[in-house]
Parts: sequence; C-alpha cells; structure tokens
Amino acid sequence: MKIVLAAILTAAGLIIIFGSPIAKEKPVLGYYYESPVPILPMSFAHADHPTENCIDCHHNYNDNTGGGPCMNCHTTNQDVWPLFERQFHDLCRSCHAEKAVLGEEGGPPRHCIKCHLGDDLP
Amino acid sequence: MKSLIATMTVVFLITFLAAPTMGAGWFWDVGNGIGFAAFAGLLYLTITSNRRLDVRAHQILGYAVLLLVVGHAFWFLLGDATVVEFIKIGAPDYMWLGIVSLILFVVLITTANVPDRLRVHQNYSSFRYWHRLLTIVIIAGAAYHIVVSNFYLGTWYQAALFVLISIAVCLGRAYWIKLGQIAIASPVVYVALSVIMAVAFTGLRNLPA
Repeated sequence: MKIVLAAILTAAGLIIIFGSPIAKEKPVLGYYYESPVPILPMSFAHADHPTENCIDCHHNYNDNTGGGPCMNCHTTNQDVWPLFERQFHDLCRSCHAEKAVLGEEGGPPRHCIKCHLGDDLP
Repeated sequence: MKSLIATMTVVFLITFLAAPTMGAGWFWDVGNGIGFAAFAGLLYLTITSNRRLDVRAHQILGYAVLLLVVGHAFWFLLGDATVVEFIKIGAPDYMWLGIVSLILFVVLITTANVPDRLRVHQNYSSFRYWHRLLTIVIIAGAAYHIVVSNFYLGTWYQAALFVLISIAVCLGRAYWIKLGQIAIASPVVYVALSVIMAVAFTGLRNLPA
C-alpha cells in the first residue's frame, strides 16, 4: 500500500511540475498587465457580452479610481493586487451564477481554461 | 448501510438547499460530486469508530475514501491544465488546506498500519489519541476547503450547517459511542453510493432548462 501511496504522490508532483499530460489546452503564465509575478492569461470576449453594462466591470469610468486599462491598476496597485484573484473570480462567477439562477442564457464558466487563455476575441 | 446513506444524504442535501439546479458543467460538478462523497466518507469513518470497531473493515473503507479523495484531486489536475496553477505558491488558503488535508490523510492511513504504527507510537493509547486528533485536523481542513471555496455552499445557512455537522462528527464522540456497534459498509457499497450521489449531483445541476 505504501508503494501505491508513494506512486500517487509522485504522480501528483509530476503533474504539478510538468502539467497535465492529457489536457489539450494549456495556459502560458506571463507578466500580463505588468503584474509583479507571472500570472495566468485571462480572456474576456467583449463580443460575447454585448448586453452587459460596461461600468459593471469598468467601474473607474464613473468612480474616479484611475484611468487607462483597468487591469494595470489591479496588478500594480499594492492595495488591490492582493485581492486580484478573488476579485476577478467573484466578478465573473457571480455574474454567470446570477444568470443561471434567473434561467437566462450563459451559465457559470465551465473549465478554468475557458477563461484562462489569451484574448482571441475582441 | 443506513448510517452511510444518512451521512451521504445529509452532506449532499446541504449543497442543494440553495440554487439546487445551478451547475457549472459536467466536468466541474462530477469532480466536486466525488469530493463531497469523499468528505461524507470521512465523516462516516469517524462516526462508526467506537470501542467495538471492526478495525479491518474501517481500514479497508479508509482506502476507499482515499481513492475518492485522490480521484477528486486528479480529476481536476488531469482534466484542466489551469487547475495546477491554483495549488501553487500564491494559491488561495482554501486550496492549500485541501492539499494539506489530503497529505495528512495519507499520513493517517500509513501510520495506522502495523508495523509502521509500532514505529511511530509507543503504545495503543498514544496511537488512538493521535489518530483521532489527526482525523479532526483533516476534517477541519477539508471543511474549510469546501466552505471557503464557496462553489456550492453560497449561503450563510449552508455554510453554517456544513460546519455544524463537521463539528458534531468531530466532537460528538461521546454520543456516537452510545449508538452502539454499527456494521461498517463495504468499500463496494460506499463507492457505488458515491457514484450514484455524484451522478445525481451532476445530473440535477445540469438539467436542460
């Protein structure tokens, strides 16, 4: 049994180091949006969200919290950078979950990779 | 068998108390259904541990629970290349606690078997004390992993109920002993029930609108 357990932990370690051998799409970590450490790429297809209110995400348009691309602020401002992962997951997930509860089209995101690929849509 | 069904039903029912038809797609829901079945197995192993414990049955079921815990982790690690980034340095604490609980569960199992148990513990009472303490730590870590990740327990009362049953199982030993000897379910029954629960969990959450 110990050999089996050791094999399982070794396999987990190899997957963590080298990635999944069967997953087709793989994200490429990088210093996106001037992030201080390598982060996952993110995609948000504006073309797929034509009915959403812009300021639901682009809050700086009306609350004077900064200009320029919103992501730069979230990766360089020391106050919000620690909240980066939680804030963006909550933003995307809560909106998708809300739609699912209301029975509207557009359920929660599926595989993580569906959002964590570079933008290929405008 | 009844107590296993009851334990699994309670765990899965809590997830259905709010937004019961909201799913995240079959991939995500199957993986988490396996995870909830594994957590229910952990609770069941704890509830059924008393002085007249059938040690061999407890041990074998422990392996079956570990199988599901590992299945839950590998399901995501193998199926989505992004998930691995969610358990590296900088990952949220609830993911780290999930991993710590898994590793401690492996430690719990390996240090419970003779002859390794005799190498680690000088006497049986020392083993029992550390085995129970480690179990409580594992359940606490797994419960934190589930509740704080906030995927299916989105309301305060779901989270509170989940925490309450975890605490009751961990600290209610005096009560569980009074239930008398419960025949521990076989690993085949446990895995079969887990499959049924995970399929129902996924199916109900992904019904066509």
